[in-house]
Amino acid sequence: MEGEDHYLVALAVGSQDTAAFGELIRRYQSQVRNFLRKLAGDVNMADDLAQDCFLHAWNKLQTFSGRGSFIGWLLKVAYTTFLQSKRKSKRYAEVLDEAGYVAQTESRSYTQTSNEISDLDKFLAVLTEEERAIMIMSYACGLSHREIGEATGMPVGTIKSVIFRGKEKIRTRFDIKDHHHG
Amino acid sequence: MTSKIIIMAEKLKDAEDRLLGAMFQAESIADNGFSKRVVTRIRRRLWLRRLALPIAMFLGGSIAIKPISQLSVAVSKLLTVIPMELLETPVAWMPQLQYVVLGAMLLVASMLGIRMLED
Repeated sequence: MEGEDHYLVALAVGSQDTAAFGELIRRYQSQVRNFLRKLAGDVNMADDLAQDCFLHAWNKLQTFSGRGSFIGWLLKVAYTTFLQSKRKSKRYAEVLDEAGYVAQTESRSYTQTSNEISDLDKFLAVLTEEERAIMIMSYACGLSHREIGEATGMPVGTIKSVIFRGKEKIRTRFDIKDHHHG
Repeated sequence: MTSKIIIMAEKLKDAEDRLLGAMFQAESIADNGFSKRVVTRIRRRLWLRRLALPIAMFLGGSIAIKPISQLSVAVSKLLTVIPMELLETPVAWMPQLQYVVLGAMLLVASMLGIRMLED
């Protein structure tokens, strides 16, 4: 699978083959969208970010060295896209604030739009953004600590301590065993 | 005794990890045309990028062609004139130079505009 991914990346980079890149999108869109949905807490925004993420990935595809997994690299792009969008909306909110408006629309804090709040949403709400991203990468996407380190630009030791801290927070606030999957 | 406690703790940790893993697991999201939409956007961008330079060159060239031809005539005259006339030439080709600069600026502006539209 990884070899196939690398072959498709080589095709996309070498001959600007959009069909090869399309195949990569089909393979990983679910994981990327799931990651962003959990991180952003908003389905529509997450899907817009996922589109931007794949566009950024296409533009930066030649920077994929092929040493790690493609999904690890893709989630790095997705996380960067999310942080950039958050920074942009923060600046936008500041401008509106200065202009005397109350910025409500583009607040990208973790808010669940749906009425149904799952246990996982409650768990994620007690975590910081960084902890949330790392926990999702680890538990939802199944990335190794090394891969998460590459995706976030943090040392493996820091990743381990962030996961430990995140679990501690969840453990102190909830009885994990009593919660259903969500 | 200590090693047994450590193993127990590890097992407990594994069970917790498994539980968390199960909670974080999400159902696969159906593509529903998502990948097609992204590929269409990428193809559109590629075409815009391919067309941007020729269009900008054509626009810039069509604006700059007249002053460039006038400038080349002025330069060719300059090669044959006596030193006295040499003093008058800057006044003669200064207006054409403005057109050339304007043309170049328009070329750059149109390229930037197309890039912004693309983004």
